[in-house]
Amino acid sequence: MDIGQPKRIIEVEPVTLPVPEAIPVPEPRPAQTPEPAEPAP
Amino acid sequence: MTRTTLDRALPVESATEPVVAWRAWALTGRRDGTHLLLRPVVGRGRPWLPGRPAEAGCRMLGPFHEAPQLGCSCGLHGTHGLDLLRRTRCPAVLGRVALWGRVIEHESGFRAQYGYPQRLRLICQFCFWQWGTHGVQPAVVGWFPRGELLPMCDDHAEMAGRCGMRPQAWLPFDEIEQRLRDTYAVDPLAI
Repeated sequence: MDIGQPKRIIEVEPVTLPVPEAIPVPEPRPAQTPEPAEPAP
Repeated sequence: MTRTTLDRALPVESATEPVVAWRAWALTGRRDGTHLLLRPVVGRGRPWLPGRPAEAGCRMLGPFHEAPQLGCSCGLHGTHGLDLLRRTRCPAVLGRVALWGRVIEHESGFRAQYGYPQRLRLICQFCFWQWGTHGVQPAVVGWFPRGELLPMCDDHAEMAGRCGMRPQAWLPFDEIEQRLRDTYAVDPLAI
């Protein structure tokens, strides 16, 4: 990919890094457990 | 010409806000759609790891050197506009990328020392080549050998199959796109 000739140099020191501090971990889906059987009358 | 001599030929500026540019990536993952990783579309560059800045490095001028350098084409690339990205090979993901550290601005883009995606969207590469972002949204994601993932719209998925380009698995587009954004903790690209 040709992006042409260089024009200028920028020394970027960001105050805040543009990287999320903590990657959220998806919550595990609750295990599907069968409903307890109704006690027999 | 040495790096110092070349640097003197261009103005040098300082900034505290990252440069934001357009970029395209390739995408890899497991057959079940997990362990998604953004990768450079060309070469055998290192993957962009979730939660960590990508850092450029280069061995093109002999021993490893810091990137980007003026006398080389190294660095993490980004472009001013989207159209230039339509010439890239096999793009699977389109997005906005933050670039910082040493950044060299060119006529049509940037080369940078560090980068991290800010917004991401899966694209059908065939639609993107033909119509840019006016193409059709992907419907499926093909999983190919070596873990390469290629999103495609329905028409191009069918056409790819007729041309012998058959993935080993089809994955749901919505699920993969959401998982990609969750993996990198970024927002969707609205275009």
